[in-house]
Amino acid sequence: MAKTTIYAGLEIGTHKICVVVGEAKRDGAIRILGVGQAPSRGVRKGEILDFDKVQTCLNDALVRAEDRSDVMIRNVFLGVSGAHIDSLNNRGCFRLPEDQNEITEDDVEEAKEIARGVAIPQQNVFLHSITRQFIVDGQDAVRQPIGREARTLEADYHIIHGVRGRIQNAIRCVREIPLEVEDVVFNPIAAAQVVLNREAKHQGSLMLDFGAGTVDYVLYEDGMVTATGCVPLGGDHITQDISQAFQIPNGRAERLKVDEGSCLYQDVPEGEMIRVEDDNGLSVGEVERAFLNEVMYLRTQEILEQVKSRVVEHLGKLAAGVYLTGGVSLMKGVDAVARDVFGLKVTKAGSAPVSGVTATFENPQYSAPIGLIRYAQILDSEKPFMSPFGRLARRMADLIS
Amino acid sequence: MVEYERNANNESPGGSLKICVVGVGGAGSNVIDRITVDRSLSATLVSLQTDVRVLNQSMAPKKVQLGAELMRGVGTGGDPDLGREAAIYSKDRIREMIEGHQMVFLSVGLGGGTGSGAAPVVAEIAKSLGALVVVFAAVPFSFEGRRRQQQANEALERLQKSSDALILFDNNRMGELVLGKEGIQKTFAQADTLIGHSVRAVSSMVAKPGLVKLGLADLIAALRVSDGRCLFGFGEAKGKDRGVEAMKRALKSPLISSGELLRNARNLLVHVVGGESLTLAEVDTVMKQLGRHVPDETQILFGVGVDSSLGESVTVTLISALSAEELASAKSAVADETSRVQPRSVVEPVAKLSAVVAADFAPPSDLFSDPVAAAPAHVEVVAAPVVKAAEPPPPPLPTPAPVVVMKEPEPEPAPEPTRVVPAPVVAQPEPPAPEPAPPPVVHQPAPAAPARGFSLASVISGNDGGLRSNSPRNEDNRYAPAPIVEPSPETAPVAIPAARTSVVSRAAETVQVQVKVPALEPEPVVAEEPSGADLFGNVTSSSTAVAEPAAAVARSATAEEQANLRLGGEDRGRFNGTDPSVVQGEDLDTPTWMRLRRRPGR
Repeated sequence: MAKTTIYAGLEIGTHKICVVVGEAKRDGAIRILGVGQAPSRGVRKGEILDFDKVQTCLNDALVRAEDRSDVMIRNVFLGVSGAHIDSLNNRGCFRLPEDQNEITEDDVEEAKEIARGVAIPQQNVFLHSITRQFIVDGQDAVRQPIGREARTLEADYHIIHGVRGRIQNAIRCVREIPLEVEDVVFNPIAAAQVVLNREAKHQGSLMLDFGAGTVDYVLYEDGMVTATGCVPLGGDHITQDISQAFQIPNGRAERLKVDEGSCLYQDVPEGEMIRVEDDNGLSVGEVERAFLNEVMYLRTQEILEQVKSRVVEHLGKLAAGVYLTGGVSLMKGVDAVARDVFGLKVTKAGSAPVSGVTATFENPQYSAPIGLIRYAQILDSEKPFMSPFGRLARRMADLIS
Repeated sequence: MVEYERNANNESPGGSLKICVVGVGGAGSNVIDRITVDRSLSATLVSLQTDVRVLNQSMAPKKVQLGAELMRGVGTGGDPDLGREAAIYSKDRIREMIEGHQMVFLSVGLGGGTGSGAAPVVAEIAKSLGALVVVFAAVPFSFEGRRRQQQANEALERLQKSSDALILFDNNRMGELVLGKEGIQKTFAQADTLIGHSVRAVSSMVAKPGLVKLGLADLIAALRVSDGRCLFGFGEAKGKDRGVEAMKRALKSPLISSGELLRNARNLLVHVVGGESLTLAEVDTVMKQLGRHVPDETQILFGVGVDSSLGESVTVTLISALSAEELASAKSAVADETSRVQPRSVVEPVAKLSAVVAADFAPPSDLFSDPVAAAPAHVEVVAAPVVKAAEPPPPPLPTPAPVVVMKEPEPEPAPEPTRVVPAPVVAQPEPPAPEPAPPPVVHQPAPAAPARGFSLASVISGNDGGLRSNSPRNEDNRYAPAPIVEPSPETAPVAIPAARTSVVSRAAETVQVQVKVPALEPEPVVAEEPSGADLFGNVTSSSTAVAEPAAAVARSATAEEQANLRLGGEDRGRFNGTDPSVVQGEDLDTPTWMRLRRRPGR
């Protein structure tokens, strides 16, 4: 029987804090044991503003997750996001010594080291360095260069980096619970592991994790991560637009958005009104549906345009189209808007089927935390025994396939 | 044999030049502290403060508490009027400090009370003592709000009149670029160091002897942009490839953003200083390297100096200026790296606007077929000093922009009327111009008018201050007489009226300045016109014809200005405390529908 390991994924989102406990088997299967979530306070645009509030909410979520899964959580994989996270592609070229013809592991390490030696802003720290491909004597897309005969070896890397202080703050916040942070993962990287299947990655696809605070995206081309990033706009902005357009409180605007809202304003008959009620069911006013939808449409379109502006040079190669996940992907009509903006096939997707609490994995809100479990599993399966330094270096190698 | 005056650039012979660096207010004193600690400059360092606690912490060797009796050692609380009062109270102490120095550098952070209020007074005192005044001013962060911005602008206008050169540092840029997310203290320290460096560089440039000499006139030429923000780069290196290294470091300076911003600069001043071992080859490589960052049409003002105190090292100083809007658009263009060639085209509309304004200037100066006269007409931006440096006659020339054009309608034949029109346009946006004009006209016949004449003039203008109701400038005219009680026989009288009217020719800028004052709308400007016409009798017809373009200029300026100002002080509701998501100058945190409504034209 395959050995199993239990992992916990923690995502501190702008709308909710979510802890997922999962059991990963050596054969690659994942079973979700329990999910604990609590509404989030003190987080804006994916970044923690108020430590105390976040810790209170995090405690709630943790207790619920432990309760449901019957597991005591000590270590978590922490998903992070935020506009400070940026990415770039870099290539390291290594020329083999004259007396050597065959590529060895050391040469690969050397090439990777060179590729990772890219200048990032002084205050930034590497989050991930993902091998995209190796190029051996000009031959593209080599996955396994060791043992080949060659003169030059190039390593193509995708490097994700973020501001050190902000990432450390998130870690510190979790450590004070106390919980140990096993690894820090950029949210969309984790989500992509469960939202995109191998085929989608190879055909080329763009995954958008449309959350409350941010839109995180990952773009795959030929099975390689080509672009990742974070746009600091999200569902909160839609809600805020509604609340300011109709002069209603934020909570009411959020309800209106979730219950009644849609991004399709063209087919709505003029003059159709929606009643807005307060907590006691008393009517506090009416809003026009067409106007509501137009407000939502304008903002949604703008957010997607912002994403598009960042990935526009890669859009030509996406045969599998756009995958929408995250809480806002539940909003009506968002896929139609995305289709207009990107001109590509758009799929709303949650996590791929895993066993366990069935109601969870289909909900696109949980893509990222479930992805964290998958990420942990991949990470673990690939390098069982290695020095910490070696593990660090090989961390993401071959992960993305 | 004709003897030329060797001191045409208004510098004293090297060595004996005595420099005084004055820091006014909190920000200014910080710079002084920095320079004190670095010991990078041999100069008298003076710190001026209203708040006695801050003053006690200052490391400056000389300190003056402003308005001790008036303020009792408490700060101004951000009120420039109080700051000014305080400085006027302590003017004798200030004069004592400054007296005997040929060059006065004034470092000040604008926007607050002491800085904005006292600095113009100090500058005037220094001016009246016959010193060369160079002001290094930091413009407040945009998050400090509109009010401080406005105070800063008012103070700038005053400083412009009494300073020979004005070097502006945009705090927003410093904050953004100096060290990014590094601790705030370090960022400020870095900013202070930068200003300290520039003080040192400018002083050595003007004071030290050079092989290819750069003077103050060159400095002013480099900064010749309306509403200019200084681009400053400084690099020092020694050892192998020191020239290239120094240039690299200078280009790395945050205010230049790796040379990207130089692509838009029209004038660029480069000063290379080395020890006695400096070779021509080194200078050559340095300039070639620079050439890659600068478009061909940029005018490069180049200087080389030898300073034995530098030993083996070489320093490179780059100074240029971009107008505030250009800087903003260039920044966004630079951020948008996909379009490398774009920046110029992005900037174009602004450039065109200024070109239009420049074209407007040209005709009046053409009228006096005197090349010498033409020059000052272009130099007005910060250019009081040039005016002062030259012989007395030129200054009055820019002065009567409205007057002279009226006086000489004859030289203009029929084909020319379109050219005449622009001239009043330039004059128009500047409401007080018609009134202050008369006093200089009075002086004109006797250019060597003594200081008494001037103070008389300012008294006159002070008296009829009530007449000019909505001009933001009349207050300072009113207070001007106070600090300049002491008659100074040389240049003060000439320079100051010139400076005042230099404002006129800065039309583009002035229009914006006015727009910022909410009470001033295009209408009052137009309304002012007839009164000016009455003064000079015969302009009524042209003035009405001209009114419309002026309004148009004002309107376009308004549109631009609002786009810039909107960022400050708005309540960001739910997103308070987060980093604003600004894309192409728009804050994406404000609702989309609201922004769409704001720009119906687009």
